[in-house]
Order: sequence, then C-alpha cells, then structure tokens
Amino acid sequence: MTDRSRAALLIAPAALFIVAGFLLPVGVLLMGGFRDGAGAWSLARYVEFFATPLHVETLWRTLRLGALVTIASAIIGYAAALAIVDSSPSSRGRYIGLFILPMMISPVARTYAWVVLLGRTGLVNVLVLKLGLSDEPLRILFTETAVFLGLVQLFLPLMVLSLVSALENLPPDVTAAARLLGASWLDVFLKVILPLTREGLAVGGVLVFTGAITAYITPAVLGGSKVLMLETLLFQRVSVANDVVTASVIAMLLIVMSYAANALLRRVASVRKA
Amino acid sequence: MRSWGRITLALVLIFLIGPFAIILAAGLSDGETLAFPPQGISLRWVLAVFELESFRASFALSLVLATASTMAALVLGTPVAYALDRYRPPGAIAISALLTSPLVVPGIIVGLALLRHFVIPLGVGVTTALFLAHTALLIPYAARVVSASLANLRVDIEEAAILLGASRPGAFFRVVLPNIRSGVLAAFILGFITSFNQVPVSLFLSGPGVSTLPIDMLSYMEFTYDPSIAALSAMLALMSVAIVLVAERLLGLSRYV
Amino acid sequence: MTLRTAAAALALILGIGGAAAQQKLTISVYGISQDSYRKHLYAPFEAQCGCKLVVEVGNSSERLAKLEARKDNPEVDMAVLTDFNALEAAQKGLIDKIDVSKLSNYDKLYDFARDPIGSNYAVGYTFYSTGIIYRTDKVKISSWKDLWKPELKNRLALPNITTSQGPTLLFMVDRSLGGTTPDFAAAINHIGASRKDVVNFYERSAQLTQLFQQDEIWAAVTGRFNWPLVRKLNMPIAWASLSDGESGGMNVMALVKGSKNKELALKFMDYWLSAEVQSKIAADLVDSPANRDAKVSPEAAESLTYGADMAKAIKFLPPQTVIDNRVAWLNGWNEKIAR
Repeated sequence: MTDRSRAALLIAPAALFIVAGFLLPVGVLLMGGFRDGAGAWSLARYVEFFATPLHVETLWRTLRLGALVTIASAIIGYAAALAIVDSSPSSRGRYIGLFILPMMISPVARTYAWVVLLGRTGLVNVLVLKLGLSDEPLRILFTETAVFLGLVQLFLPLMVLSLVSALENLPPDVTAAARLLGASWLDVFLKVILPLTREGLAVGGVLVFTGAITAYITPAVLGGSKVLMLETLLFQRVSVANDVVTASVIAMLLIVMSYAANALLRRVASVRKA
Repeated sequence: MRSWGRITLALVLIFLIGPFAIILAAGLSDGETLAFPPQGISLRWVLAVFELESFRASFALSLVLATASTMAALVLGTPVAYALDRYRPPGAIAISALLTSPLVVPGIIVGLALLRHFVIPLGVGVTTALFLAHTALLIPYAARVVSASLANLRVDIEEAAILLGASRPGAFFRVVLPNIRSGVLAAFILGFITSFNQVPVSLFLSGPGVSTLPIDMLSYMEFTYDPSIAALSAMLALMSVAIVLVAERLLGLSRYV
Repeated sequence: MTLRTAAAALALILGIGGAAAQQKLTISVYGISQDSYRKHLYAPFEAQCGCKLVVEVGNSSERLAKLEARKDNPEVDMAVLTDFNALEAAQKGLIDKIDVSKLSNYDKLYDFARDPIGSNYAVGYTFYSTGIIYRTDKVKISSWKDLWKPELKNRLALPNITTSQGPTLLFMVDRSLGGTTPDFAAAINHIGASRKDVVNFYERSAQLTQLFQQDEIWAAVTGRFNWPLVRKLNMPIAWASLSDGESGGMNVMALVKGSKNKELALKFMDYWLSAEVQSKIAADLVDSPANRDAKVSPEAAESLTYGADMAKAIKFLPPQTVIDNRVAWLNGWNEKIAR
C-alpha cells in the first residue's frame, strides 16, 4: 500500500462524515443567500445587506471586538503560559487544571456572573468609587467593554492552553542560552520564543477569534440589543423574522472572516517552516 | 522571574475564576435573585435544582451526548491528524480546511441547516441529529489538538518500531498512541466541554422532550431569574473539578497536558 | 467512561425515545413556571388520560420557527403561541381550525379569548396587560409620556422589538405622542432620539428583576406576567396606573396541522381551559385566567391581570396589524434605535 492510499484511507471516514452530515446541509442553506426572490443566481441579498447602515456597523463591531479579544488574549496568554512553563512540574498540572476550570463552567452562568460584577452596585464599580476613579458608578453593562471582558474571559483559556503546549516543545536550553549570550528578555521573547511558538499562537488565535465573532450568549446578555454583533443579528433574523436568507448572508460573512483570520495566522506560522 | 510569574498567574486566574466565586456564592444565597455578596446563606436553591425534573433528563442527555460525540470525533479525527502529519498527502491544506469547516460556521446556522436539509428530509430522530451535529463540531478540535501533539513526536521512534517488526497499526497503537496520550486527553477534555456547553447548535436541533442542559438552563432563565441556575452551575463546575482531580491522580494529567 | 459504556448509555437514551407504549401527546409551550404547570396541569391530565405528555419549551417565535421547519412531518400536536404568531402560523398553513364544539369550557371564556385570530384557528387561554413598573421613591409615573422624564435618563429599560412586548411598546408610545400611522414612526423616532439614555432594550423579561435589584434601572415597560417576580424584591416598586391606559397581549392555543392526536389534544386544551386548572395556575401567579369562572384570591389578583374590568380596559394590538407592519417596525427600529 502506498503512503498516498494509506492517507486516503485514514482521511476518508472523517471527510465523508463532514461532507454528508455537515457541509452539504450548510452549503444548501448558504446557497440561499445567492439567489434572488425568483430563485435566479444573484448577489442582490449581499447588496441589500451592505446597503443597511446597521448591518455595516454590526460587521465592523464584530471585526473590531474579534481582533481586540484575540490580541488581548495573546498578550495575557503569553504572560500566563510563560509563567506556567516556568513553574515546577507539579504545580504546572495544577495551573493547567485551574485554566481548564473556567471552561467547565457553563457560558450561560459565567455571563450572568459578569452581570452581577459589572453592574452599578457591582464589585467593579465599588472599587472604582473607592479608588476615586469616578464620582459616580460607571455604566459598563450593555457596552462594548462588557462584551470585550466577557469574551476575553471565555476564550483566554484556549489561547493559554495552545501556548503552553507550544512552549513546552521549546528545547529547554534555548532561552537560557540566549540569556547567557546577553540578550534582554524582550529580545529573547521577540527573537526566540515568538518565532518558535508561532504555530501555537496561530492555533490559539484562530480558536479565540472564531469563538469571539461567533459567540452568542455573551454579546446577547452583556451587550444587549445596543451592542449587536453579527451572531446576535443572525439569531434575531432567524428566530424573530424567520428570515433565513439574510441569516445565511450573515453566516457567509462570518465564515469568510474566520477563514481570512485562519489564512493570515497560518501564513504567520508557516514562516518558521519555510 | 518566578515571583513575577506567580503574580501574573494570580491576576489572570482571578480574572478567569473570580466570576466562579460569584456563582458559587449566589448559588448558596438565601435571596431571590443573583446577587453578590449574597443575601444570607442557605441550601434552598441547591435543593430546588433537584426538584426540577427536566434538568435531570437534560443533564443525562448532555452527559451522554458529550461523551459519545467526543469519542466519535476522536475516532474519526485522530487518523486524519496522523495521516496529515505523517504522509503529507497532496491537498493537505484543502483537507484540513474541509475538516475544520465546522469550526467557522456559526452554530445557529449549523443547527438550522441540519434541521432543514438533513434531519427533516431524512427523518432522523432528534437525539441522533444532536449526536451527529456535535460529532461534526468536535472533529476539528480532535484533529487539531492531536495533530499538534503528533507534530512534536519524533517520527523515528515509530520507524524504529516498524523496522523491529511491528505492523503499521501495531506501531501506531503501541508507540504513537501512548506518546500522544496527552494530546488525545486534552482533545477529549476540550471536546467534552465544548459539547457539554454548546448552545447555538443545539438550539434548533433540540426537540420536544429532548433538550440539552444548557438549552434547558437558558429557557429556564428566560422567565425565572432565581439563584437555582447559579447553584446548578456551581455543582456542575465542582463535578468538573472532581473529574480533573481524579484524572490528575489516576493518569497524572499534569505530566501529559 | 469507556466507549462501550458510552455507546450503551446512548442506546439507552435512544431506546427510551422510541419505546413508548402509551399514547403520547406532544405540546409546545413557554418555558415559564414549568413546575407549576406540571403540578396543576400536566400530572393530573396524564393521570386522567393514561397518556404521556412530551413538553417542548421556548419562546413563541423560536417555537414558531421550529413548527415551520418541521411543517411536513410535525412532531408537535398542540402549541401555545402569542396571538400574532398564531395568526402567522395559520396564514402559513401550519395549524388547523379548532372544533370548538368539543371544548366544554369554550362558553365560559371571555369574549375576546374565544376567537382571537379569526376562523377558530386559536383559543386564548391567558392574557396580560403591558404597562410600566417604577421605583416609587425615585420617580412618579402616571402616563406613557413620563418615560422620558429627566430622572429616568440612564435608568430606563424597554423591551426590544424582537420580544412579544416590543410591538406593544411602540403602540402605546406612538399613541401617547399623538401618532396615527401604523408604521409607528412617531414612536420609533422618539425612542431613537433618546436611545442613548435607555439602559437596555431587553430580550428576556426575567432580566428586569436583576436590573431593578442592582439599581441599574428605576423604570421599565413590561408585561404583567413579570410583575410577581419583580414584587418579590421587596423594593419600593409599583405597577403604574396610567392615565392613557394599558396595552397587552394574549397567548393562545393552536392545533398543529398534521397532528395524529387531535382528539387528545382537544381534550388537553379543554382541561387547561377549565375553571379548576385556570384557578390553580392563577393562584401560583403564573397565568391570568381566560375562563370567567376561574376564582382568584384578592392577593393573587393584585399580581395578575384579573377580571372583566381589567380585560376590557386593555387596548389589544390587532394581530393582523402586527403581521402587516412587523418588517417595517423592525427596519425602522434597526435604523433609528438599534444603531
């Protein structure tokens, strides 16, 4: 048996499963967005979509929040992952457990915890008042800030776990060697750690970005209808107006965004291999 | 350096786990709403959870669904990860794009598409539909996490096993699999959690009498806003902690993850 | 869990789904207060008919979307929906006419509940008024115009257009501003101009309890069904008595087209409409009775929309108007308010 046929044999079951049980149904639905009222092929639905200011605004907000959440997760993620890898092997497991823990809690409940925390009488505002940062409670709920915080909390663990497994594969002596050669920590990070962990960053980045732009509960509860994102708009179209066609246009846009992010991050990651 | 690391970790973990403390406290509250600090302490909301019949059924369904679909996704996804890593077949990028596609399609669309163009035309049952949808959704996780750990495994130990007379499947099961155990376990945990907490996909696929736990919680909260949801979430989280601790004890999770 | 136990457990669950020997009646209802329904409605009915009730819960529009998706092979026998969702279902051919002669309690219903969407496609089982709740220590509210008082800047929550209360909100605000057109342009423009001062356009009414408790809001527009929950807070909150009246909504029962259990579904509907069941559910402060003979204690009546006088005072928004204008409202809302 050649390698090629072996590969085909190993890949076929999953590929068939995905095509029949997923791709075809989704494809048929998405095609609906490329037809006009009479059923002929057309881009009319997309033109309509972009002609609506609310939709364009929602699209930008989704991109902006997705990017911000990914960047924040990467920064915090590296700090946390480096610290975890740096700790003793026994506490490493405990830390990883602690990072998995929040992922175990239902996003439904976690999002509601933020409602309590960020409210006018919540802990965050109590601190703001005590520290004299403001004379009166800040309105955080139902703003982009609230959605941002909720999304970072939701997806940061994915980034940390990806980065930890990437960092663990670093030869243990490279950073030490670089330090010995007189490089600053920033140099070590930018010239040694970052290039060698790009793949982990790419995997984590795609998970976080895609997760953030397609999250439903967090923007729905923390942003409310004043901070619409594409996914909340999509749900509104399907479940209230039963407008499957506009929903499929939004879905297509989200898919394109995810693939674009994926391609971008992959390109960054593959620099190492080339 | 280590002390800085500890401070960073502490801050990040407070951010991540702090809300959990809120949920725990609210679940033990004696008040009528989610509040922090809680108004009095009682077990009334914890007990209330056990009286809700529908939660019991949906909990069982979610548990079985998460386990079965993660298993199925691993069985389907691991060979793909292996094939892509070892044989680098032509079109590898297209194949992995195909297999990760469930990750990028919004869950609501997946649920709606499967309902309209798969479940209804083929007359598939609700539970089966949920199982299929969750499996499709988890294959990318399984394939990705396993392939990440395969990428770090040296090819030569497997080649050595084959040279020493092991069959290819034998070499896979005896040499490769034990070495990527951490990745498989990580994929399992990730897949399980993803399925267990999945809302959008299940939203359209759950049917009369068949509903997953998060969907049940969401519809409960639509009209009732008492701390029993917090109590339930806290119990679920404690259950998860117990699983992680047991895994740590039995498997030495920390050595592999 | 090993693969084998997982498979066995899955088979068990699948088996339970398939191996029901008794007759099954599948109903589709709101998720509210299922414990009360189970106690006063489902369990006694199951005992009476020797059948098994399978319950689907969710909000009205989501469940309507499911009914439509499963049009050719319906799973649900009987559904309760908002009146305008039921009318939409009738127009899309998703539900059948009800043979009201089979409902022994039909004559005891309030007139407006007997044929709310025409041609006997539905029967109303409960109704509610939509009004304003407010903090009596912070603001005084006696008309719909008071929503725009300066005290309520950043302290007001309104229902989103996507909820069943949304159209009602537009209706009452439009009338209070002297609007006359069915596109509710006056209301949409006015709310749009003050949108920054509104804390949230909520989608889940249960959220209001939280918002009141956290001092986020001092006033909100909501359905009466939410009032018992807010009252539990023990805060100085009142249901406003409004000089320009209240609107409201009705929830109705409908028979799903293609159901194989029509007779049983009718029996169930009749049982639900009986004075006995309606009184018990009302006593739990869940649904206001549509059956005139249902008895409600004075304390319970305080929380519900109870009695002929209250029913008469409600300005219902005709379901057909909602259907005809909903797209325009949503577009106007999205353009002026949601942005």
